Amino acid sequence: MSHAKLAEIFNKDEAKVNWHDKALWYVREKRDTAAHNVKGWEYLRDLASGIKANVLSNLDNYLVEFEKNAQSNGIEVHWASNAEEHNEIVYKILMQNNATKVVKSKSMLTEECHLNPYLESKGIEVIDTDLGERIVQLAKEPPSHIVLPAIHKTKEEIDVLFQEHLGTKPSNGDPQYLTNEARKHLRDKFLKADVAITGVNFAIAETGGFVVCTNEGNADMGVHLSKVHIACMGIEKIIPKEEHLGVFLRLLARSATGQPITTYSSHFNKPAPGNVMHVVIVDNGRTEQLSREDFRSSLSCIRCGACMNTCPIYRRSGGYSYNATIPGPIGSILSPGMDMKKHSSLPFASTLCGSCSNVCPVKINIHEQLYKWRQIITKEQKQPIVKNTILKITGMVLARPKLYAAFGISVRWMLKYAPRFMVYSKLNAWGKARELPKVENGNFDQWYKKRKNNG
Amino acid sequence: MRVGLFIPCYINQLYPKVGIATLELLEKLGLDVYYPTGQTCCGQPLGNSGYEEDAKGACQVFVENFKEYDYIVGPSGSCIHHIKEHFDILEQTEAVINVRKNSYELCEFIVKILGKTNLGASFPYKVGLHKSCHGLRGLKLGSCSERMDNYYSTEEELLKEVKGIELMSLTRKDECCGFGGTFSVFEEAISVKMGKDRIQDHLDNGVEVITGADHSCLMHLDGLLNRNNQPLRVMHIAEILNSSI
Amino acid sequence: MVILINGIKKEKIMGRSSILKSIKENKPTLISLPEIDVNSFEEAINLLETFKKNVESVGGSIKELDQIQDLDLEIKNCYPNAKRIFSQISESALGNVQISEQTKPKDLENLDLAILKGVFGVAENGAIWISDEQFSIRILPFITNDLVLILQKKDLCLHMHQAYKIIASRERTFGLFISGPSKTADIEQCLVIGAQGAMSLTIFLV
Repeated sequence: MSHAKLAEIFNKDEAKVNWHDKALWYVREKRDTAAHNVKGWEYLRDLASGIKANVLSNLDNYLVEFEKNAQSNGIEVHWASNAEEHNEIVYKILMQNNATKVVKSKSMLTEECHLNPYLESKGIEVIDTDLGERIVQLAKEPPSHIVLPAIHKTKEEIDVLFQEHLGTKPSNGDPQYLTNEARKHLRDKFLKADVAITGVNFAIAETGGFVVCTNEGNADMGVHLSKVHIACMGIEKIIPKEEHLGVFLRLLARSATGQPITTYSSHFNKPAPGNVMHVVIVDNGRTEQLSREDFRSSLSCIRCGACMNTCPIYRRSGGYSYNATIPGPIGSILSPGMDMKKHSSLPFASTLCGSCSNVCPVKINIHEQLYKWRQIITKEQKQPIVKNTILKITGMVLARPKLYAAFGISVRWMLKYAPRFMVYSKLNAWGKARELPKVENGNFDQWYKKRKNNG
Repeated sequence: MRVGLFIPCYINQLYPKVGIATLELLEKLGLDVYYPTGQTCCGQPLGNSGYEEDAKGACQVFVENFKEYDYIVGPSGSCIHHIKEHFDILEQTEAVINVRKNSYELCEFIVKILGKTNLGASFPYKVGLHKSCHGLRGLKLGSCSERMDNYYSTEEELLKEVKGIELMSLTRKDECCGFGGTFSVFEEAISVKMGKDRIQDHLDNGVEVITGADHSCLMHLDGLLNRNNQPLRVMHIAEILNSSI
Repeated sequence: MVILINGIKKEKIMGRSSILKSIKENKPTLISLPEIDVNSFEEAINLLETFKKNVESVGGSIKELDQIQDLDLEIKNCYPNAKRIFSQISESALGNVQISEQTKPKDLENLDLAILKGVFGVAENGAIWISDEQFSIRILPFITNDLVLILQKKDLCLHMHQAYKIIASRERTFGLFISGPSKTADIEQCLVIGAQGAMSLTIFLV
């Protein structure tokens, strides 16, 4: 279903829309406060954008440099061209280590590759250890936001879920109680896991190391309690030097949640003695996006979610309306490149207000890329006949002043004289919830002509 | 200084009062204003819908009509933004480059080019300013709440000088109204919800008249206000600035 | 699509070479790295007060000691119920848990309190750098129920750019910036202190 259809369904429950909208606007406001407190915030954004531009223009060399340095520190590096290869590589590592229980911290990449269902089909237990992700995992739902995966769930819904799966007592959604119970439940999983899988927030070419940021400490709890650490990263997660982390770590959490930094920013360079570390570097459509001059900079994304929090459409339609692993504004410029047919409605799910581009820490010109995708999609995807015909005819009329003048007059006549039932029929989408403009007297052309004639 | 008056297509057809106010205002300011009668539309509705190729004809008509003026002034931030940003699809002849360079939204023209803010206007009402997105973030008519810039607002500079006006403060200072061109029709549910929320913000803050530099936004809000019989009205900023003695 | 035939080595080379080839073909002309002008971030602020304020805003606690000898008394005041305590600080005698080469991470499951040295703090975000030079088993600062860090007041820097300069010449194994206790707001945006890591973080400033 298109975004418009899914959003319409979401909007049937106005109270829920208001709740969802307010929750995310509150995060946006926290981001604003945090950004105001940083001297040189806009300069930081310029730097982050410039560093990522350099990265994309030198990506192959940085990846090779990263691999070399990582390997010299005892980290095994793998390369996966697509999701299938990624999943197979991860599974192979699990098999080599006789692993049947896996704990996983937040990684949108593994979500993109559908790693969990793949491993589960092979009899592996995968526990998502970020609390929000655990909640949606128990509910058998995908995450609806890349940073706040369970933002769409009320505490009462979570309470019922935990009663069923964790055996908690009914608590009317007491967040403290539920979090404490989840802590006990997840601790048990950490202690029994064979392998820990994490994402990568930033991989550093210069050192061969990488950084994982969490508030809960779940990535570290998983990694340091098992002997095997698999870190999955998209090719674009690389940054040139460790000093660049100064720029990105100052921007990331503030943009995402309004915190000055996440509780834990863990810097991995060498496996602990006796342990092993693997990094899986994944393409899965990224080199193809790299080839698209207009959309290349979307690869700079550091997955902060700020664009989702500010987007008035995302806040009122929810992540599921996008039907894409990454929803919201950034998802709408990444997804069409991966499957234009499935995601053709996404670039149109926007008023092009431009707020997303302004909150993006790496200054991706999201709203301009949305506009550009629209031009491509109308050419490459079959458009609804009515839309296509009306717009093409409009183009013809607007190029011919005399025809336009006649057209203008007939539209005005229709609005003025046609009976209400005709004008406000089911075909008139505007008229469903809004009145059409009232037409009085003449148009501007006629007024001007009259004034000119009167001297 | 020869000024070409650009009257956006929907203002011409549906809200001629706004065009009239704009012309009268510019003439009051002592300008030589010309209205090319062959103008049609800047092409924005097509461009935003993904049909910018099909809008080329309209864009060419625009350039033809306005190429000989020193300044092109229009009461619409989004249309002017479209001309400045998206006429890049035309061959960049001298005429096209000049038209793009010399096009101005009305408020910006008055404050930046004419250097005027007090226009002798009088409008004793509680007014809420809707900062339309393309004008705000596209043309940078003002600072926006999500960027860490020093505060400024071209529209407010003009409105503050209006006699008797009370500028009310909104809860969300610059959230989009949800019009978005054909978005208003193809994503009707969200568009309507966004508009309703904007209106509620103005109501919550005691606004009597919603104004702005883009009547497309105001048309959308007006449609909702009228359907829901809400005690507010909309008025383009040109009409407020022109409402004097 | 790559089909697995002989095992990892073959597929690694194929994935790697095709990815690198694709990047070479598709990357734009080189854009040079921007210079970071750190002076843009200079601020004449009180490092200590800013650090303390930020630690508290992220859910941590600050205790200032007149003298290091007061440490154990103050820790006992803060954590009267802590029974199993590990200390890597010579100035504290509270440690009763031993960690040796034989200790497995899971053995620390019931650790109540860990007392570690913080290397330095960052004023802008209340973060402290610690690395596995300060704790011999990596799980230590996470698995402990409560965490105490001892920090010298003089060991504060303004922002992260300075922080990375300070740790630039370290031996790189494992380290982290830790800012406050573990937390989550995943349940209806309600902030809950104490998620999967330590339930509290108290910093003793000397």
